[in-house]
Amino acid sequence: MGDPLIAAMKISASGLEAQSMRVRVISENLANAQSTGSTPGSDPFRRKTISFGDELDRVSGATLVGVQGVQTDQSPFPLEFDPGNPAANAAGYVKMPNVNLILEMADMREANRSYESNLQVVKQAREMISMTIDLLRGGN
Amino acid sequence: MIVSAIGDSKALQAVQGTPLQPKAAENLTANEGFEKILNGLGANAFEALRTGESTAIAAIEGKATTQQAVMATMEAEKSLQAALAIRDKIVSAFLEISRMQI
Repeated sequence: MGDPLIAAMKISASGLEAQSMRVRVISENLANAQSTGSTPGSDPFRRKTISFGDELDRVSGATLVGVQGVQTDQSPFPLEFDPGNPAANAAGYVKMPNVNLILEMADMREANRSYESNLQVVKQAREMISMTIDLLRGGN
Repeated sequence: MIVSAIGDSKALQAVQGTPLQPKAAENLTANEGFEKILNGLGANAFEALRTGESTAIAAIEGKATTQQAVMATMEAEKSLQAALAIRDKIVSAFLEISRMQI
């Protein structure tokens, strides 16, 4: 086992990476919130979801967090009446992406908060390490 | 010898990341012990600095994430600070000995 404080920094670094991946997926969803298909009746952009899982770091024995995978949301596409759209079916309805803006914003805020708390851990661990090193200085 | 006792210093082992195991009394001369410490401290700090630097460059080129670059640089900073603090301490101990009245 190495230094637990350094392990703490490693763990929160993995949290930072996981949350940034989450922000990436959210931004893909938001950017494609209006991406319809291009042929009549075709499927639009399908919302992506991300899932996390614990990962064992064999070197330090610490439990990190990792992205387990990016899946797609299987909920149905909402229909919108727009006969002029190239993706409109025979009845004039267009399948819109199953992206809910409110949900994405809430998810983004949660990712932001989680990122912040991981950063706080890094800050604290760093401060504790340098306070310990500072014991050697001064008092000569 | 006091100085060779410093040569076995646990600080050096801690900075180098090797397990703290009591060493059998090595027959070090005064100089060997002292040089060994300074070399060990320097080499380790240098290695950490090099890793930090290369990760930072990789991040600028877009190959590593910002988080990785920051972590590697902080690791380098921490090793360097620890090495410097231990070196200062050991040098002052050495000076203390050399200033001794004969």
